[in-house]
Order: sequence, then structure tokens, then C-alpha cells
Amino acid sequence: MQDFYKNDFKRMMIIPTIIMLILILYVFVLPVVLPTVFPGIKPGVDLTGGNVLIFRSDKEITEAQLVSALSEFNLPELKPSIIASPTGYGAWVQYGKDPKVTAVEQLLAKANTALETSDKDSIAFSNEVFTELGKPTQTFDNAKTALLAAQQALADYKEEFSKKLQDTLTQKLSLGSNVEFQKREVSATLGSASFSSSIFISILGAIMVTIVVFIAFRQLIPSAAIIQAMIFDVIAGLAGMVFLQIPLSLTTLPALLMLIGYSVDTDIMLTSRMLKGKDGTPGERATSSMKTGITMTGTALGALTAMIIVSYFYQIDVIYQISVILFFGLIGDMISTWFMNAPILLWWVEKREKEHKKY
Amino acid sequence: MANVLIKYWQLSFVAIVIILSVALIGVYGIKLGMDFKGGTLYQVELQNPVTSEEITRISNIIAQRIDPTGLKDATVYPVGTQFIVVQLSETDPVELEKVESRIRQQGRFESTLDGNVIFTGDEIKKVQRSDNSFGVFKAGTSAYEWSLPFVLSEKAARNFMESTFHKCNATGTSTNGLPTYTCEKTIFFLDKPKALIVTTVEQEETDTLLLSEGNKFENIPQDTQLDELILDSMLTVLTVDNNKGLDKIAAAKVLSTTKNAVVSPSVSDSVKSDLNALGFTVIVTQGKKDLPWIWTALGAKQIISLTEGITNEDIPEGQMDRAKIFSTLRITGQRPTLEEARSDLEELAILLESGSLPTPVKTISKETISPSLGDSFLSNVILMALLAGIIVSGIVVIRYKSLKLAIPILITGASEIIIMMGFLALIQRPLDLAAFAGLIAAIGTGVDSEIVIADEIMGKSKTAHESLLQRAKSALFIIGTSAFTMIGVMGPIVLFSRNLPGLDKLYGFAVVAIVGALIGIIITRPAFTKIVEMIVHGKEKEEHRE
Repeated sequence: MQDFYKNDFKRMMIIPTIIMLILILYVFVLPVVLPTVFPGIKPGVDLTGGNVLIFRSDKEITEAQLVSALSEFNLPELKPSIIASPTGYGAWVQYGKDPKVTAVEQLLAKANTALETSDKDSIAFSNEVFTELGKPTQTFDNAKTALLAAQQALADYKEEFSKKLQDTLTQKLSLGSNVEFQKREVSATLGSASFSSSIFISILGAIMVTIVVFIAFRQLIPSAAIIQAMIFDVIAGLAGMVFLQIPLSLTTLPALLMLIGYSVDTDIMLTSRMLKGKDGTPGERATSSMKTGITMTGTALGALTAMIIVSYFYQIDVIYQISVILFFGLIGDMISTWFMNAPILLWWVEKREKEHKKY
Repeated sequence: MANVLIKYWQLSFVAIVIILSVALIGVYGIKLGMDFKGGTLYQVELQNPVTSEEITRISNIIAQRIDPTGLKDATVYPVGTQFIVVQLSETDPVELEKVESRIRQQGRFESTLDGNVIFTGDEIKKVQRSDNSFGVFKAGTSAYEWSLPFVLSEKAARNFMESTFHKCNATGTSTNGLPTYTCEKTIFFLDKPKALIVTTVEQEETDTLLLSEGNKFENIPQDTQLDELILDSMLTVLTVDNNKGLDKIAAAKVLSTTKNAVVSPSVSDSVKSDLNALGFTVIVTQGKKDLPWIWTALGAKQIISLTEGITNEDIPEGQMDRAKIFSTLRITGQRPTLEEARSDLEELAILLESGSLPTPVKTISKETISPSLGDSFLSNVILMALLAGIIVSGIVVIRYKSLKLAIPILITGASEIIIMMGFLALIQRPLDLAAFAGLIAAIGTGVDSEIVIADEIMGKSKTAHESLLQRAKSALFIIGTSAFTMIGVMGPIVLFSRNLPGLDKLYGFAVVAIVGALIGIIITRPAFTKIVEMIVHGKEKEEHRE
């Protein structure tokens, strides 16, 4: 049997260690120090709150054209991006909440609280809403009707704004009458609540995996080695996201969670063979595991490549993003499993055998 | 034959489940989610967090408001303590505007007496749920009384006083010397149509009978008079004899106030076309079973008796200026059981809380997906699956140098997909992007597991220190642990996503991933193991012969 690990395998561990450090710097540290050069993880709209407008076009659109078409709107925190693929073009326009909407929402809240204390005050607040939105005020004798009318006015304003935005874009970029717009709007409170929920659930998931692994193998070092690989793979996935500026959102979070599940597959297989296998030397067992493992990761990478190509071609953003994250993560898995996890296990198994031989 | 089926029971099991799944898909069909079909999703954020009972209640109120007949294919559910998600397959902006305003406001509520409106939903400031007098109280040996206090605006309270002044009549004296009264009744309407009402002679007869019988469930008291109901509705009601036809002159008079005509299903087609000819838009309204048609058509909801306490009977006639203005009013009713009393109270409270939700809405976020983006999506997904399948088989063939192995892997993958679809059809869960991602997760783990099995069993046949059985066992340990790690990652999502805001989309993803993992360990992978064993047996036999 072959033994890939015949020679000084401990030195192999240097490679993943260095890579891990580089990735951590790239993803977490440098963006804090040098944000303009290293943008770091990009949070998606559903975690920050804001609006996204997505549309497709047959004609080519450049970012410059897009920005100039949007110039009259003064959209806050505007983040435009262009999608280009062999089958067409499109754009992804992300922008923050209209400050006017925020101001009006506060007025509506005040009007609502005033319902209990003073009808007159409530009506006054509701009328302020109309003024803020550039609409004429009305005389109301009923505070509740006033409030409802104000709420309706806000909803109308948002719709009108949206329509105007879409019409301007259609006209200035000559998008044609068949253009389809997709619109998303997420409130900031919902966004930050979603963000904390996501972190919570991810940490919980990671803990669960740790527990399962520990129950399966019951030994500290081998389990810790698997967990190390899991962490490495997730960071690799994050690095891919940072590199291609794929936003971290409620659609890409599943990819990271999937990565946790997938990546441990190879490590579990390796650990099981190393600890329970009986034929050959530990090194030989590790090598045969590597052959199996590379086939496993190979098929996954192959399937992901198919997905990346098709989704890129046909602009299916969500699948593209998930596939890319998994792709990077699995490449990381190959490094962390065969250059780190395997050497650790070998070290540990050999130590254990030496101790047994003493008796 | 039976021997074979039992010997290879793993395979028979898979075959049976696949057939079952295909049947389920045939019977229930696969619901395509919003990502494929297009639709709109609203996330309603409440002003402040509320208890879980309250948020369920608000969620139900909204569901009732936007889709009372259940036809719109709308899903409404609470998330956490401050958000409610509304999902519809509607994308027409005009319709959506209606939906959005319905989320904020129930329809028009009116309380009428003697043909006059005494207060509307907008004039109810609040239902005093926290007041001591709100609730259900025992009122005798087998009676429970519910009590609902609510507050009117100043203007409405004054109007109420004037409209209800002396609307009770003394009828004598009770056993303890106090005078007894019978009082007039007010009728509560919700979304009373602004239209001409047209019914038939037969329908009117049925309705009169039903009204006088009363209906406990719908709160129609006994001896309710049709005329009173019509008077209070302040609408023109035409009773038509289908043989004689429509009284066109009477109908035409109503045209100046409204062009709508709400018509009973029993009205003949010729009458309907007469109405059309006059310029009316005919709306046929279905009644509800065992209820008077006119009750449903008018939007009547409750008939409540006034009580002498609020009609100022003690103030002499002609001295209305001395009358007390009650801004807090209380409605009471009685039921024989606690459950019925509670449910009456709740329904009425919800009715009165019209105009706004119990907790106000802070914002409504909207997401639209246009259906056409969805169509092409499905075909692209299929393309991807095919391409991926080809690449995976390619790699397997290269590695194991045998087509014999690649085919079972593909078949196992396909079976997992079919069984999963069957499961989705069974629980009527729509297939959307999230579910699709979950499917990828499940199948990916599946292929990995199958490679492990193949290697464990086949790869070592030359240096077999362990028996076939032992090898199968160690393979099972590996893939079992893998499956459980996947369940471990997804488990928390399934458990918590309904309560944590924003994560509701992940729920579908996690469920599919977990179910996929389970289908794998229980159904498809044991069968695959068996197939590999068979292949190895076959090979070993060949080798022994040589």
C-alpha cells in the first residue's frame, strides 16, 4: 500500500497553518484596518435593512450608466452592481432606507401614541406626515381616520417612488417595455434581528456538530482535529465570499451551514478509518482514505462546477452564490483534511501505539 | 419470488417507497413556491413586541382580513414576537394595494339603530382588555356572562347619547321592585355594501323564518324582524318575483346613489340582465349555510340590545341636556358554557377593534418576485441537475473503472430526489429556492456517503482482513455519523426559526436537508450498500472461478 505520509508528515501542517492565518487576516483583520482596500464581508440587505431592485436587460449596461441614471434620486448608501453573463445583462441596485420614510414612521408612531391622550395632537402628527410627504393637509375630525389616511399616504408614497425609479431606469437605459423588476425591502429592525438570529443559529449548529463528533469518536484530540477542519473550511468559504464580494445574507447563510455538514464528511471518514481500521500502517490507512476523500470532494466540486457554470450563464444569482461558497469551502477542506487533520491523527495514533508497546 | 424480495429487502423497501412517492406526487401534486411561480411577501413589523398569544391572534386577524374565503392562496404566520409574514401568489400592484391596506385596517364597522349610524369603527378608541370588567363571569348555575367594555371618542359618545335617549320601554316591575325594560337593539355591520340589494320572494320567506328562529352561533336573537334589519342597513332592498320580473322604476331610483347591485343566487338570469341593462354592476353574493341570505349580504354581524343604564331612562323626556354621556360602553351577553362565552367575547372584541390592529403596525416590508423570472428558473435547474449528474458519473467511472458502480450512484441520487418530492407533496410544502438548496445538501451528502460505502466494501476486497459484514458496518458508522452531523447543523434551525425573526426562509431549507438525510440513512443508502455487496460478491465469485 502506498503511504503518502511516509516522510516527515508533521511538517505538512505548516501549510494549512499559514493559509489559515492569511485567510483570517484577509477576512477579519485587514478589513478593519484598511477598509478601502479590503472590503471584508459584505452584509446583504436582509441583514442590514434597505432596498434592492433587480432587473435584467438584453443591452449592455455599465456601472457608470446605472449611476448616472439614478443620480436624480439621491439614493442613500447606494451600492449598484452589474450582472453580466453570456445570455444577458442585469443590474442589482441596493440602497438604504429613505430618510424621509424613517421620519414619517416616527411621526406615525407619535400620532399613534397620541390617540390615547389627545385626539387633537394625534391629528396634528398625522397632518405633519402629509406635509413631510409633500401632500396637502386635510381637516380631520376623527383621529383614527387621520392616522389611517397618513399610513395610506406613506404606502402610496413608497409605491410612487418605486414606480418612478423603475420608469426612470427603463427610460434612461432603454430597457424596453418587457423588463421585469424584482423588488425587496427589509426594515432595519428586522435586518438586525435577523443578523443576531443567524449568528445564534450558526453557533448552535457548530456546537451540535461538535457534540455529534465527540459522541462518535469519544477521544479529545481526534474530535478536536475534525472541528479544526470545520472551522478552516468555513473561513475558506467566507474568504471566497469576500473575494467575490458575495453578500452574507439569509440566502447565502445556508451555504455556510451546508459547508459545516459537508466538510466534516471527509474528516469523519478519515478518523474512522484511522482509529478503527485494522489493515496496514496508519500511514497507509491515511493514504487510502485520502484517495476516497479526494473522490468525494472531487465529485462535489464537479457538480458545483456544473452549477456555477449554468447559474452564471442564466444569471440565477442565488444558486451561483451558494455554489461558489461551497466550492471555496471544499477546496479549503482538501487542505485542512489531508494536510492538517491527517497529520494530527497520525501523530496521535503513533503516540498511542508507542505507549501500548511499552507494556 | 417472495424469497428474493425478502432476501433483498432493502431493495424492495426502496422500490415500494419510490412507488409510494410517485403516487403521492400524482395525488397531491407539487406546489411550486414563490421563487418559481412569482408572488409577493410582506413582512409586517409591529410597533412593539407582544406575547405569543397576542401575535397569534393578530396573525389570525390579518389572515381573516385579507382572505376571508380562503381562495387567495395566502399564508400568514407570526415570527418571533414582533413580526408577521404574509405570503401571496398575487403580483398585480392594484390588488396588492388592497391587500396592504387590509393588513392595516379591517373593513368598515358600523353600529346602527333605527336607521341611523350611531358610531363607526373609527370612533372606537379602544377595547379595554385590561379593565377589570373585561372577561367572562359566572352568572348563575349554568350561565356564563361575558362583558366587553370599550371607549368611544368624545364626539361619538355624544352622538350615541342622543341617538339612544329613551330607547327603552318600561315593561313592569321585577320581583325586587325595580322596573324592567325592553330596549331597542343596535345592529353591528362590517363592510356593509354600498349597493342595491335584490332578493326573491322565496328567499325572503326563508330569511324571515330563519331570522325569527334566531341563531345562537351567529348571535341573531330570536324574533328578529326582517324589516328592522333592512331599516338599520339603510339600504334599498327589492324583493323580486322571478316570474313577474324586476320593478325597473324602483331600481332606477337607486342608480343615483350607487351602481352596484348585490344579488341573491336565487334571482333569475332575466332579472340580472335587466339590472345590467339599467347600468348596474351585478354582484352575486353567496349566502352561508343555515343563515338568512340577507344577513350575509348586508354584512350584519351582531344584534345587541341596549340596556336601560345607558339610555338615560331616568332623565325626563325633553331634558336631554342633562343626560349623561357615556364614553365607556359595555356590551354583555350570556352563554351556557365557558367556552362559548369566551369565544363570543373574543369575536366581538376583534370586531370592535376594527380600524387598526390591537398593536399598531410600524412598517410593512414588501418583496415581489415576478412570475416570468420563475418559469425559466425551473428549466435551468433541471439543466443543472443533468449536467451535475454527468460530471459526477464521469468522476466515479474514472475512479472505479467500472460503469457498474456509477449507475447505482445515479439511481440512488434520483431515488432520493423522487422520495423527497413525494414527501413534499404529502406535507404540501411548496418547493422553493430554500427547499432546493436543502435538496442539494441532502444529495451531496448522499453521494459522499455512497463513495464511502463503495470504497469500504469494494476497495479493500483484495486485502480483506475483515469480512464483508464488518466492512459494511464500518461504512454504516461513517455515513451515519455524517448524516447526524447534517441533522445537528440543521436541527437548531428547524427548532428555532419560527421564533427568530428573519429565519423563516431557512426553515424550508433545514427541513428538506434533515428529511433528506433521514431518507438517506433509512431508505436509500442501505439499499445502495446491498447493491455494492452484490457487485463485490459477483466479482469475488468470478475471481474464485479463475
